[in-house]
Amino acid sequence: MTNIVLPRRQLLAATALTALAAPAIVRAQSKEPIRLGTAMPLTGSQAGYGADFVTGMRMAAKDVTEAGGIAGRPVEILALDTQADPQLGINAVNRFIGVEKLPMYFVAWSPVVKAVAPISNREKVLAINTGANAPEIAHLGDYVYTAFPLADVDISKLATYSVKTLGKKRAAVLYINNDTGIDAAKIYREFFTAAGGQIVAFEAYDPKATEFTGMLLKTRAANPDMVHIHGLLTDVPQVIAQMRQLGMTQRVSTYSVAYNPKILEQLGAAAEGLIVTSLAPGVAENPRLTPFIERWKKEAGRAPNGLPYIQYQYDMVLMAKAMYEYLDKKGIAATGESLREALLAVKTFELPMTGQMVVDGHRVDKPVYLLTVEKGQFVPLATLS
Amino acid sequence: MEYLATVAILIALYVILAASYNLVIGYGGLATVAHPIFFAIGAYTAGLLAIHTDLPPVLNVLLGAVAAMAASVTLAASSLRVSGDYLLIASLGFQLGLLQLIRNLELTGGPGGLSNIPSTIVGAARTPIFLAITIGLAIASVLAIRAIVQGPYGRAITAMRDEELAFTALGRNAMTMKIVIFAIGCGIAGVAGGIYAYYFQYISPDQFEVLQSAQILTMVVLGGMGTAYGPVVGALLLLAIPQAITFLHLPPSIMAPTQGIIFTTLVLIFLFVRPAGIMGVDSSKVRS
Repeated sequence: MTNIVLPRRQLLAATALTALAAPAIVRAQSKEPIRLGTAMPLTGSQAGYGADFVTGMRMAAKDVTEAGGIAGRPVEILALDTQADPQLGINAVNRFIGVEKLPMYFVAWSPVVKAVAPISNREKVLAINTGANAPEIAHLGDYVYTAFPLADVDISKLATYSVKTLGKKRAAVLYINNDTGIDAAKIYREFFTAAGGQIVAFEAYDPKATEFTGMLLKTRAANPDMVHIHGLLTDVPQVIAQMRQLGMTQRVSTYSVAYNPKILEQLGAAAEGLIVTSLAPGVAENPRLTPFIERWKKEAGRAPNGLPYIQYQYDMVLMAKAMYEYLDKKGIAATGESLREALLAVKTFELPMTGQMVVDGHRVDKPVYLLTVEKGQFVPLATLS
Repeated sequence: MEYLATVAILIALYVILAASYNLVIGYGGLATVAHPIFFAIGAYTAGLLAIHTDLPPVLNVLLGAVAAMAASVTLAASSLRVSGDYLLIASLGFQLGLLQLIRNLELTGGPGGLSNIPSTIVGAARTPIFLAITIGLAIASVLAIRAIVQGPYGRAITAMRDEELAFTALGRNAMTMKIVIFAIGCGIAGVAGGIYAYYFQYISPDQFEVLQSAQILTMVVLGGMGTAYGPVVGALLLLAIPQAITFLHLPPSIMAPTQGIIFTTLVLIFLFVRPAGIMGVDSSKVRS
């Protein structure tokens, strides 16, 4: 008897909830949608990340719309392809502003963010960086903000942790000779040295390089007890693999780009001990993440590329919701200027996937989650706040 | 409107680039792949002068063109004694070496590029003014190149390109002519670079990679190499089509192959149907 009553109660409760929620959903879907623009690489070499970023944002838009929308309006994501190319980024943003008349858009990849910044400042349209980490992004103008912590957040904490907690005293820094690598390598060097360590090798490699033996032999001769590699997903596994082939057994650290299941598949046993950073809480810290990953796997048939980055993309829709609803309550129309004011006025955003975000001028600070590879899996190592 | 105007400005800048490249490779027969670096020299010179000096923008753009011309003369004087494959290799080395230098200098912003280039013109009139300037310069470049190649000097250029030995035997100095053509073509590319820097206010080494040569060459070949208006048609088609495709709102899995297929198909069609390019005249038909 009990077995029958309980489902019936649940059924009644579900029906009642649906009946209560239905008007909100119907209201949300019948109103003119709020369109959020995102300029990401949907084709080309970076599409693996960019396309997943947009998927993450679309999932959030669906969830927000089903929960009543933003100020009662459904949410739509308008994604344009940049191929991570500055010129295509400019075209995409001009279209957001000139054709689609959007007051705000999201963007990632440092060269693209820098290229579109003058347009945003000129046209007074709010640009929010959701994944690029060049420190220069904090100085791109009044209408360019970041929701993603810049390189000085995670790399500084990682370098200090390596000396003070792991007890490493001699580090080698190998970095890709581009925007991503140069700034981060300098930050690592500064903080590792400040914590009492010594940088024994500081080597740059070409973004198109596939052969690193010369650089690695030089590094081996310097006898480091830690190697920090700051590159891209395409080259970091190659550098690590060639290190191991040359008999270099030092512990390797890198950053969030390598927090990716692909790197484990590529490196196998060579990945053991690898330290990566994540700027978003993992499944251990955030109970919402496991159902999200399961949902993703169900919908996409695979694990997401760059999960922490996708957590940020998901949260951007919620951040936009808070900003639009702030303006709605005050009866102010959404423009680039008013949305900028809303961003600064709301300031503290409680976000479901990445936790609390406090906008501190043109920067955000977040806890850094360190993970390491153990038995072919990423496992939590430390949380640095 | 802003969007269309920006696309039009970009097309006009590429018309200038393609027309100048056409002068060098199409009329002059000088096989070079270094055109993007002269575009870059113009852009970086104007951009750096705009950031660090109070010189008027027109002068900065002209100085960018002069720098591009000077660099082209350096390359030409050292490598135009040879031609064909050797020039191609020398130009490739020049392009790669100089770009690597730009990528590694702090002054040029390194690989992160040069940002915060000041906006010379502010307000609503900015884009229309740049549009008028770039379209005006594109028309002027095409007409100036047309005037050069259709006059007696142009006939001498064609003669040198088609039969250098006979041309030299007639007492003409092929080397000087090559250097002049190269300098004019590269100087025009430098002007395009300067305006690019002022309009877009951000430049990075990745925008001037050697692969840009392939894009500009495709514009020239598709439009008609050695024709006055071919580069205009080529630049228009190759820049407008990808923008038009984005309005179809195709999913990325379809978008990426669609763009590739369209370009490959266009090139193949023109290779078979109009081997001399859209504006080109088939020489076999002229003879018949």
